[in-house]
Amino acid sequence: MSSGAPGYNFPRMQITFWGVRGSYPVPGPQTVRYGGQTSCVEVRSSGGGCLILDAGTGLRALGQKLARESGGAAGRYHVLLSHVHWDHIQGLPFFEPAYIPGTTIAVYALLTAADELQQVIGGITRHEFFPVPLDSVPAHFQYHEVEPGVRMTLGEFLVLPIALNHPFGAVGYRIDCDGASVAYVADTAPFTDVLHKQHFLRGLEPLSDADRETLAQIRADLVKAITRCDTVIYDTHFLPDEYKRFPHYGHSTPEHALALCVEAKVRRLVLYHHAPGHSDDLMDQVAKDYAAQGEAVGVEVITSFEGMELDIEGAP
Amino acid sequence: MKVRFWGVRGSFAMSGREFLRYGGNTPCVELQTDDGQRLVIDLGTGATELAKSLMGTALGKGTGELPILLTHTHLDHIQGLPFFTPFFLEGNHISIHGVDPDGTSLEATLQNQLAPHYSPLGGLENLSAHVSIEAFQPGDRLALGPFKIRTAAMPHATMRTTAFRIEADGKVVTFLSDVEYPDPEAPDPQAVALAMGADLLIHDAMHPDDEYDLRRGWGHSPVCAGIAVATAALCKRLALFHHSPDATDDQIDALVASAQAQTSIPLFAAAEGSYVEI
Ligand SMILES: [Zn+2]
Ligand SMILES: [Zn+2]
Ligand SMILES: [Zn+2]
Repeated sequence: MSSGAPGYNFPRMQITFWGVRGSYPVPGPQTVRYGGQTSCVEVRSSGGGCLILDAGTGLRALGQKLARESGGAAGRYHVLLSHVHWDHIQGLPFFEPAYIPGTTIAVYALLTAADELQQVIGGITRHEFFPVPLDSVPAHFQYHEVEPGVRMTLGEFLVLPIALNHPFGAVGYRIDCDGASVAYVADTAPFTDVLHKQHFLRGLEPLSDADRETLAQIRADLVKAITRCDTVIYDTHFLPDEYKRFPHYGHSTPEHALALCVEAKVRRLVLYHHAPGHSDDLMDQVAKDYAAQGEAVGVEVITSFEGMELDIEGAP
Repeated sequence: MKVRFWGVRGSFAMSGREFLRYGGNTPCVELQTDDGQRLVIDLGTGATELAKSLMGTALGKGTGELPILLTHTHLDHIQGLPFFTPFFLEGNHISIHGVDPDGTSLEATLQNQLAPHYSPLGGLENLSAHVSIEAFQPGDRLALGPFKIRTAAMPHATMRTTAFRIEADGKVVTFLSDVEYPDPEAPDPQAVALAMGADLLIHDAMHPDDEYDLRRGWGHSPVCAGIAVATAALCKRLALFHHSPDATDDQIDALVASAQAQTSIPLFAAAEGSYVEI
């Protein structure tokens, strides 16, 4: 850990990556170093406040740690979901604090379908999918709808939801606390080839002028929201040749992320939501290549791995 | 007949060094006859690894056929479905066979898994292959290519799971995963009938015997339950299956050693990627 002026420690946020993989968990010898669990990041304020970003399979190990830390005592947890695809919610039924009486788990998400959020999220534990319904666990679940552009204050954290470009909708979050800022931008496609709506895409569909305008607006709002962020965590699922084959899947490349970060004068970019097929050796190469590309344009680029901890410090 | 384990972990896929030898993927087992015809049981995350191995077969060219049996629709047994590549190749014919869960249907359950808020696939109709969902009643007999199958419902927490006795090439494999008998030490008559004389019994062994009391009612068996069925049914071999997500490789080794001490039936813990020639 670095400190500021000698003898003085700036208060700072800390983030820990519990799952960095996209789509589905990938155990095995190829993922030992970068990790096989899906999306989940813990954000801590200097005062001990805690936000959880996404509830993928990484949430299980985080829940075990939180339950250990609290000694089994009830707590209050904020879980901010980017969207409700399986790889971002699958960990919820395995979150140990959900089984501690008196615990409150406040879940924040974009309302993406006509169904109520509670039905959709509670629906992952219908009896045919999981033996214990979330509605009946000892903890109390609260569901909150978020709206892009509308700020929320959660304890010490100021949170700004940001609209993204992903099938059925997704939101990113900018989080300000302790004089520093971190943004979580997953999952999103770039803003050029596809405008994701509420229907299934077999491939690219022609863009109307209105679609292009909408895309330009989403992109402009995103750049504005992450401007001068100290750290941006970004969906960089694909490498460029993979993106060319699957531009309609709703994910970006490190190039897309880096271009946005340069424009938004971001200090540090974290590559995240790695494709399940990307082996540790490939990820080493990715980490090396994009660190160099970032350096050339003045952005520090690091590649997330399971267990990685980062201090988020404000600009000097 | 050859049995290959692609996913052996119960409940939750585990990655990391402590799980490399037995593997962290959730249930998926492939049976192959001597002349190369296949049957798959369950589509946990192990199905993504199975899919890679199938790319060199007709299923990788869009000219393949594959029957899949589902024991039940708990997530650890279907979470690989949206990522099973043969579904995305036009021309493949894939049939999924299972029992309707209480109060809903097998097809509605899988549709719900792929519903647009949960999955970018949006629904079964968007899979490129020809996919048929074929529900059967517990107790029904199925004939899928060369595989002759007997089925039975078994108690599993808040639902029932389906157990299978599968015959092909004159050999018998019995699959009893995600089961919890009222008394694990007293072999369940239906389970024994299904496993009678089996060349290989694959059985739920999620809990070490001495931890079972803490986990009673969770829908899974202690190791002794599989041994009791294998003994009563005169099975030739026993594979411990559906390993606890918390069991490291070393712990599973210890589990096998203590289980083998209880019986003369040769037993082993199913390991991802390994196969058994029957
Ligand atoms: Zn995702
Ligand atoms: Zn299971
Ligand atoms: Zn189950």
